[in-house]
Amino acid sequence: MRPLAVTGYSLISALGRGREQHLAGLAAGRTGLGPSPVPIEFETAVGGLPFELPELGDELQPWSTRLSRMAAVLTADLAEPLARARERWRPERIGVILGTSTAGAETTEVAYREMVEHGTFPGGYDFHRQHTFGASLYVVRALAGVDGPSWMISTACTSSGKSFATAQRLIAAGVIDAAIVGGVDTLCSMTLQGFQSLQALDSGVCRPFSAERNGINIGEGGAFALVERDGDARVLLEAVGETSDAYHISAPHPEGAGARAAMTAALVQAGLEPGDVDHVNAHGTGTALNDIAEAKAIAAVLGREVPVVSTKAFTGHTLGAAAAIEFAFAALAVEEGWIPPALGVDPVDPEIEVSVRPEVQRGEFRRVVSNSFAFGGNNVSLIVGAP
Amino acid sequence: MSGSDLNTPGDGLGAATIVGVGLWTPRFASAAARAAGERSDEELKPVGLAFDRRNRRRVSGLGRAMGDAVEEAFVGAGLDPVTTPVIVGSAIGEASTMIGLLDSMWRTREEMSPAAFTVSVHNAASGMISISKKNVGFTTSLAADHDTPFAVLLEGAGLVAASGGPVVVVCADEASPRSLMAEGDTNWDMIAAAVALAPATGQDGSGLANLDLAPAADLPTIAPSEQDPLLTGNPQAGMLDLVDAIARGASGRLRLDRGKGRGYHVALQPLAGAGGSDRGAS
Repeated sequence: MRPLAVTGYSLISALGRGREQHLAGLAAGRTGLGPSPVPIEFETAVGGLPFELPELGDELQPWSTRLSRMAAVLTADLAEPLARARERWRPERIGVILGTSTAGAETTEVAYREMVEHGTFPGGYDFHRQHTFGASLYVVRALAGVDGPSWMISTACTSSGKSFATAQRLIAAGVIDAAIVGGVDTLCSMTLQGFQSLQALDSGVCRPFSAERNGINIGEGGAFALVERDGDARVLLEAVGETSDAYHISAPHPEGAGARAAMTAALVQAGLEPGDVDHVNAHGTGTALNDIAEAKAIAAVLGREVPVVSTKAFTGHTLGAAAAIEFAFAALAVEEGWIPPALGVDPVDPEIEVSVRPEVQRGEFRRVVSNSFAFGGNNVSLIVGAP
Repeated sequence: MSGSDLNTPGDGLGAATIVGVGLWTPRFASAAARAAGERSDEELKPVGLAFDRRNRRRVSGLGRAMGDAVEEAFVGAGLDPVTTPVIVGSAIGEASTMIGLLDSMWRTREEMSPAAFTVSVHNAASGMISISKKNVGFTTSLAADHDTPFAVLLEGAGLVAASGGPVVVVCADEASPRSLMAEGDTNWDMIAAAVALAPATGQDGSGLANLDLAPAADLPTIAPSEQDPLLTGNPQAGMLDLVDAIARGASGRLRLDRGKGRGYHVALQPLAGAGGSDRGAS
């Protein structure tokens, strides 16, 4: 498959809104994690958005949820490349393929609590327009002025990564010429309590690949990218590898077999050799099992010298949005010529046999692999390249 | 992806040949039972045929229904489940499991079950199918409200075109989650419906029917045979209609959303070797 032109991308996370705020946070080594903005009864650092989300316009009010408002911000921040794409391709030739794990769960859990405590749902709660996976698709299509095929991929923490692969196939097949891809996820109590029940949460800020790591942090956010058949690319989507572990619903294969296969599949699709990869943005959640399995897989496929960073300590694990946000971080590395520090990594776990360093590294990063792995044993590796 | 040799108008969104079907509804345990008119007098429980014993215990009722439909499509098409990708579509996903988690948070104030949390994700069934079948290849799970049947078929046709191999797609939604819906909302029963897709063949090729996906158009469509409002209200009713139309050997356009989505159609043409009693009934 030919590389796709990424003609624009938008980004929100605990580090802020847009490219400049993220570059500032990453360069300064400043975590965006802090106290939880949603109700929980245990200690953990959480990556909430540090800005207020604008309300949707009157005509989209019935669809207004935190998720759809986040999607609206991401769509608005893509306005310029979208306007060019609408002129170049017809609206029905521009798809909307996004990923989320939570959909409208944040709105539903608040509404459900009110129903349990007071006997009725809050006014304005609408299951069909607010809870379902399709609700924010409607908002994005309306605001973007596009009318191509659209769906939400929901494969837990690989959701938004897989959206890039679907767009690749649809463009290669001639169904569409461009697509808004990426994903968005919100914080909610249910997710935080779920990971707490798995004893997976770090009470402080997570430290991926460190000998002293103690679990993950959850965050919210999203990133959208406009991918086109060709055009004035900021970066290229060179390849996507998609595999399954076929091992366990929530634990990775201990040797990282599925992760290894995903990276290998991406290299094969791109026609690249392992030595062509200059940097890996790791899934790197900060759990013992995941970090070791992923490091083994990276070492086996790409070698031990390639610089590896997990950015989860900046943003938290944004679940269905993580792959898209980290795609954007990979694009920043290609465009800016530096990669962020691995926050909290010292002392590096001696079982981690890849290069993870606590300082900003400068250089030419022409090809970056971004990994995402998920419940269900689902694996995605994206390759982002310089145009 | 276009170019199937259909008599009905296709618009080139995606083409493939259907080589197998599967179904589960509360009164029919399979597409074969439905085609034979073997309606159960009692409400059935899905078995989860695609899952190994361990995962069958873990998976929800929705997942078990998907598993029954997927297994029938695999077996009917003679496909290898170790290598054939599975695409799952569900508008609402694991709603019952999620409501259980909400109850533990807000109603009973119990510790959340980690096992329930891990199977609350939308891709629980697709993941457990891949684990049960030891399939280390592609799988995915998606949602598009009443356009979910179109979305899984287009995702499936795209994957068939890219890989040159077969794909099984399944659409399923459990019974409407009444505790989250407003009074007066349409309720529905569970449906799981699957089709196995392979690269498009000519009219003389093997398989059940050729399909060509088409955008919204105000054209006559094959009349759906299912009229039970408890099935037609399900967001996946369009996939049930497709399985029914294939069983009947119907040809022509079939709208995939029962009038509640964006109007996508499939142009359907039965193949020479396929059975059915309804040829040309467009």
